[in-house]
Amino acid sequence: MTHEDLIRDLQDALGDAHVLHLPEDLIAYEYDATIERARPDAVVFPGSTADVSAAVRIANTHDVPVVPRGSGTGLAGGAVPVIGGVLVAMTRMRRIVELNAANRIAVVEPGVINLDLQAACEPHGLRYAPDPSSQRICTIGGNVGTNAGGPHTLAHGSTVNHVLGVEVVLADGTATWLGGRQPDVPGPDLRGVFCGSEGTLGIVTQICVALTPLPHEVRTMLAIFDSVEVASEAVSAIISGGVVPVAVEMLDQEIIRIVEPQMHVGYPLDAGAVLLLEVEGLPEAVATDAGRVVAACEAAGARELRVAESAEEREGLWEGRKGGIGAIGASSPNFYILDGVVPRTRLPEVMSQVNALSAEYGFRCANIFHAGDGNLHPNIMFNELDEGATERVLELGGEIMRVCVEAGGSITGEHGIGLEKRTYMEWIFDDDALDAMGRLRLAFGADERFNPCKVLPTGHGCASGHAAEMRQHLAAPGVYI
Amino acid sequence: MTSPTIDLREALPAEGRRAAADYLIDGAAPQIAQQPRTREEVGKLLASASEAGLAVVPQGSRTSLDLGRPVDRYDIALDMRGLDGIVDYEPADMTVQVQAGMTLRALRSHLAEHGQYLPADPPPGDDVTIGGLLATARPGAWRGHAPAARDLVIGMEVAHPDGSLVRSGGRVVKNVSGYDLHRLHTGALGTLGVILEASFKLVPLPPATRSFAVRRGSVRDAARLATELRDAALPARALTVLAPEAATSLGLPEHAHVLLELAGYESALDAATRRVVDIAESSGVGPEEAPPGAWERLRAVAASPDGAVLRLGIPATRIAASIEAARGLGATAWGHVAAGSVMVHAPSIDVTAVRVLRRNVEAEGGFLVVESGPPALRAVVDPLGSATRALVGALKRQFDPNGTLSPGRWEVGL
Repeated sequence: MTHEDLIRDLQDALGDAHVLHLPEDLIAYEYDATIERARPDAVVFPGSTADVSAAVRIANTHDVPVVPRGSGTGLAGGAVPVIGGVLVAMTRMRRIVELNAANRIAVVEPGVINLDLQAACEPHGLRYAPDPSSQRICTIGGNVGTNAGGPHTLAHGSTVNHVLGVEVVLADGTATWLGGRQPDVPGPDLRGVFCGSEGTLGIVTQICVALTPLPHEVRTMLAIFDSVEVASEAVSAIISGGVVPVAVEMLDQEIIRIVEPQMHVGYPLDAGAVLLLEVEGLPEAVATDAGRVVAACEAAGARELRVAESAEEREGLWEGRKGGIGAIGASSPNFYILDGVVPRTRLPEVMSQVNALSAEYGFRCANIFHAGDGNLHPNIMFNELDEGATERVLELGGEIMRVCVEAGGSITGEHGIGLEKRTYMEWIFDDDALDAMGRLRLAFGADERFNPCKVLPTGHGCASGHAAEMRQHLAAPGVYI
Repeated sequence: MTSPTIDLREALPAEGRRAAADYLIDGAAPQIAQQPRTREEVGKLLASASEAGLAVVPQGSRTSLDLGRPVDRYDIALDMRGLDGIVDYEPADMTVQVQAGMTLRALRSHLAEHGQYLPADPPPGDDVTIGGLLATARPGAWRGHAPAARDLVIGMEVAHPDGSLVRSGGRVVKNVSGYDLHRLHTGALGTLGVILEASFKLVPLPPATRSFAVRRGSVRDAARLATELRDAALPARALTVLAPEAATSLGLPEHAHVLLELAGYESALDAATRRVVDIAESSGVGPEEAPPGAWERLRAVAASPDGAVLRLGIPATRIAASIEAARGLGATAWGHVAAGSVMVHAPSIDVTAVRVLRRNVEAEGGFLVVESGPPALRAVVDPLGSATRALVGALKRQFDPNGTLSPGRWEVGL
């Protein structure tokens, strides 16, 4: 069967308007927020679970891969159709199907934007807790695929902790629910293992999420330090002192000097590092928690502590954090966002090593990250037009990942493995573990069909060897984390 | 004359041998009962059993072996309580790596020294092992208030039937590297692998707790009050509606009650208590201090040796109706509001009644699990939904192709 047959079958099933196949239309779907590119054979925009099933069945008939895609904000190449096939863009399926305040659940289609769900919950005094920094644009389906985190993961957990059930289309085109509308459905936790499977096990077509009440009171503080190391010590001191703030975010001097001149949110330009700290709950508990946080920061050597006095001030402090990555884009031709994670107590030494390595390689590195979780995001700035710069940046990225692994950490805290980090998987998992992951993929019947060449290092659905040799992709300016 | 079983028994370390009569399941004794001391021993036992075509039922404190169907075959009892140590505990990181055979009680007492805990209160009590806690994934009253144990697992090591020891996750609190195989083993009743170790993210132990009971004239009124209390966003760790029969088993008068536990700083609890009083008194009598040990007793009811214990997963708005439906069957029932779970203890219950209850619950988008009961009941009540069974079957074929681990738990031959 020919390419034309594939396109015609897709058009017959989904309607001409919902199938892209001309080269000039496909270009926009070659990449996600990384710059690795690969052209799909077709892009389809299903409007229903039945459309998704139809697309998968057609892909089966034509024996081409299926790659799901949300808003394309992924930072690991997860939505790049490495060996072509049908790219299933979920953006048309963006209905909030049900928002049940009494039972504190919402059922949404995968294309719903994270922030739109937040906005819909708020009038009911509720929220959907996961808030990745890309929440203005990323989709709930994509959040499920990557098990997205965000600044508030520290206290509230990642996406998987808030997903009760997912309707998924499996490799044979059938749709089934994993989990349900209540927690703790009997049997192996298929819902849990599906979250974060990066589109390799199936395509999410509906999601039932748990909603939580908005807190009575939120207090946001900015603690100012002379160095990242001292700020890191403060993070450990706060948490081992018995308070788990809902967010503990760090910005180093490099990022402060990028963000503040652009956004004017009140970060002191001469600070070595700042911590953005947030506690929430009943007013009495917030007062106690905040007092303890302040005391721990002061004891660790904070230069100054500021408390946001108004909602505007609080939003300003967060604005700087959430827009930080975009600000880097405006001040460097290219940058590479890393995502590594280490035990929180190892942060001071790991941060020293990250900065020493960046200096050794001769790159500026801005750090803006989830310190409470030990989740680093070094951003290495460079110009790809400089001879050999890209290769050296990638090498540096690999070395920084090594530092994380050697500190007892892991190679991704929230961005995923995707295409980018498959080769690092062997650093943290042995053959038996990788084999077990391959068996999971086989059990879902998805070994060859869904998102080939992703997550696992070799031999799982990646028909050709070229993906392994592909140049690794770099984050483009303007992307969010 | 030798047999595969006798050969295997001779090959296992003599010091780990246990009396088979102490390991009855549904009245049947295994041919071998073994308590390994090391992870490698577990792997070897599984590989040998798998090769010999013998069935292994992994077990810990043996409190929840009624979950799932009765097993088809039972040759070897694998007692995991020999692996009962803490592998690594970093209080400053708030993470712990613990062996599967340690009891929740023992882990709790270690963690409490550093003001931390694993917020899990599964039935029937803290005697459950960590492996059992995860493999059975039975929610308690804290579910929905504190993060569940399954959400706090950050890494796991599992022995597969082929003898391989497989790790997933790690020791960091946030990690999306590869598939979270540890989630697959959560709730799997040891049918896909045997949990050897688990790493958890921990939370601070609340500085103080207070429990209240509030009497109401009907289950419906109690559920209404519980909803109001839930919506007040109190620092609650448990919020449960008790049918009159459940209330009496805790030493309360025979009326419907709301049982509430607050957890936090004393100062915050003072303020929260005032709110509870205001809310309760606006619709009836105010709160009283809960009877001592009320929560522990409630957990233990779910392990009653007689009759059946069912767990219903239902929308919060259906708690009163579900409790009333259970009462109609002569059962004692109580419902945890945040988890959307109603526990039903029936001294005697027939299959038809369970089927009717299940159909009603499923019509609401919920589910019913038999957590304990006679084999005749468990043999005919599907422990999984039909949609899930195909995937569980596929997983079983991938992870346990010889049907070594508790065969028949999900359906005959599965």
